[in-house]
Amino acid sequence: MKSLLIAVKDAKTHLKDRKAILMMILMPILLTVILGSALKGMMGGGRMPETILGVYTPEGNAMTASIVQTLGDDALVITVEQAKSEKQLMEWIEDREVHIGLLLPDGWGIDAKERAVILPVSGQETGAAIIRQLIETYAQMSHAITNSTISIMTEAAVLSSKDRTAIQSELAASLEKVVNEQRNYVNEPPEEESVSSMQYYAAAMAAMFLLFNAMAGGKSFHQERRSETLSRLLMTPTTVHSVLAGKFIGTILFAWIQFLIFMVATRFLLNVDWGSSIMQILFITFFYIFSVAGLAMVVAAFTSNEKMADVVGTMGVQVLALLGGSMLPLSLFPEIMRKMAMATPNSWALTSFTSIMTGTPWSTLWLPAMVLFGIGVTSIFISSLRLRRRIA
Amino acid sequence: MLTLSNVKKGFGAHEIIKGISFQVEKGESFGLLGPNGAGKSTLISMICGLLPYGAGEILINGKLVGRHLKETKQIIGVVPQDIALYPTMSALDNLIFWGRMYGLSGNTAKTRAKEVLEEVGLTERAKGRIETFSGGMKRRINIGAALMHEPQLLIMDEPTVGIDPQSRNHILETVKTLNEQGMTVIYTSHYMEEVEYLCKRIAIIDDGKLIVSGTQRDLSNRLAGGRVLKLTVDSLRPSFIEQLKQLNGVEKVIVQPAEEIDVHLQSEMEIVSDVILLASRSGIAIHNMQLKEANLETLFLQLTGRSLRE
Repeated sequence: MKSLLIAVKDAKTHLKDRKAILMMILMPILLTVILGSALKGMMGGGRMPETILGVYTPEGNAMTASIVQTLGDDALVITVEQAKSEKQLMEWIEDREVHIGLLLPDGWGIDAKERAVILPVSGQETGAAIIRQLIETYAQMSHAITNSTISIMTEAAVLSSKDRTAIQSELAASLEKVVNEQRNYVNEPPEEESVSSMQYYAAAMAAMFLLFNAMAGGKSFHQERRSETLSRLLMTPTTVHSVLAGKFIGTILFAWIQFLIFMVATRFLLNVDWGSSIMQILFITFFYIFSVAGLAMVVAAFTSNEKMADVVGTMGVQVLALLGGSMLPLSLFPEIMRKMAMATPNSWALTSFTSIMTGTPWSTLWLPAMVLFGIGVTSIFISSLRLRRRIA
Repeated sequence: MLTLSNVKKGFGAHEIIKGISFQVEKGESFGLLGPNGAGKSTLISMICGLLPYGAGEILINGKLVGRHLKETKQIIGVVPQDIALYPTMSALDNLIFWGRMYGLSGNTAKTRAKEVLEEVGLTERAKGRIETFSGGMKRRINIGAALMHEPQLLIMDEPTVGIDPQSRNHILETVKTLNEQGMTVIYTSHYMEEVEYLCKRIAIIDDGKLIVSGTQRDLSNRLAGGRVLKLTVDSLRPSFIEQLKQLNGVEKVIVQPAEEIDVHLQSEMEIVSDVILLASRSGIAIHNMQLKEANLETLFLQLTGRSLRE
């Protein structure tokens, strides 16, 4: 009972600390917005990034009209904006209203000397290279088809009794049939749902900022020692065990408040989909917070004052966050780093959260839950031995 | 109420408390005097069960501290030397929290907290955060937290350090009233005037030892004549000190820093003229001369050769 009173007092004290609110509740929401938006192009199923292409063709011919239509095809995720003048196109590029500019001269596709000019804005070099490849492939194909058509028509006119116009119509009909025929030469990869950048960073920030409770919990213990409230607590008929349990539960309580606020805020403000099973999210969060509260006790036990807890905690959280995929997606890590990440509690939480977001059976969550529980129990065991000796 | 028998405490090879014994009766107001580092706070920590004692025994209401920790802690209310409160919480919430730590139920703690706020004169600041309070107000809430469970024995460790005279007077009046209502009080301080005002019996400790204990009258009697002649001189010479000691009626001569001399007098004898004559003959100029009446400070000085505030 007294442990609960100490825990509630700790959580209340924490909630009245403006710095803590800013750091533990507002910061993760802000970072989710920034990182989720900034890395939007890198994630979301590995498609080509959405590109706005500004095109200017002075007169236009069948070839230029055709390439513009091809580039604007839905499958390419390119939005084509036609500029009325070269000047307008240059203004769009300057104002970054388009990602890439494309200048198609009058005789492009007919006269080999007339070449297209691709003008990427800074940071869109990859998109520009893709568009260049598309244009070149298209031009080569067109050139090959035109040449072979002319050759065939010439040969057929010599050999056939039909007149040239009849052969031309037959060939045109045949070519149109081939063109309209939908053929797939490469199979689509099996459909695998992936998380959006906003979903990934919501999970990553939740995992990282819950980890900060380990530092805050450790510091809170030293604060009580410095302000003599710990001594005063021990002068009351309250046991050392109750005090330690109170500090542990207090960390858990604040972490839950922090997580629930974060989850609701990201769901309703940022439209983050946490998956169809809220119970699975709460299940993993329960074990993750348990392990984090255990780590808070370790910080309290193995540091001698607030400053040291602050330094050790901040460094520890940053290393764990980096290694556990909270800063950069785990998928970008080499194999060895991914194996190392398995030693961090936040990576287990993060991968579980993202799995839940894309839908996963309960059976896959037992392993991470047990690993997190193990980290928590080990931390509590080691730290309580040391803390009991230090307090008593 | 409280009995200490030959209590000792050491940290490693260093002995901090060197066999202290005294008794405090129920309803008594007992003063513990001593300079900084004398061992007062260590002694209090042992009485409260915060520190284990090395040897001897401490009994509260006949129960051995250490063996019956929970019961003995429930009897005591402790006012620590530091402001041991939660600064971001309100005065009311702090009092309720500490009350609940002593086992009061939620409603009882709330009712009692309002009574305590009345006692320490801070009802109108009940909802104010502790961090916004003045030093004196914090000290009053610090005392209030110890009163929440209506303890039989109130132990106060230097409760008036660094506060304004108004708050100090309020605290002294509150303690006096509590004692008059039947609460046993142990009051430690190095302000002898506070101890003289509040306590009927006094113990003086220094360097972990009990130097003297008794009622104020007992201690005054020990001073005999007990007056001290304080001199500030120029060009002090050892021969002058020796000659001073030979004067009729001088019990002790203690040389303080900055060429100050405390001459402890044995009786009501008037020797001021003899001292002036001796200084004149020795070619020593007296800049200042003050005759101080006997009090606890002079007794402490006489017994230890040190000032209480050192």
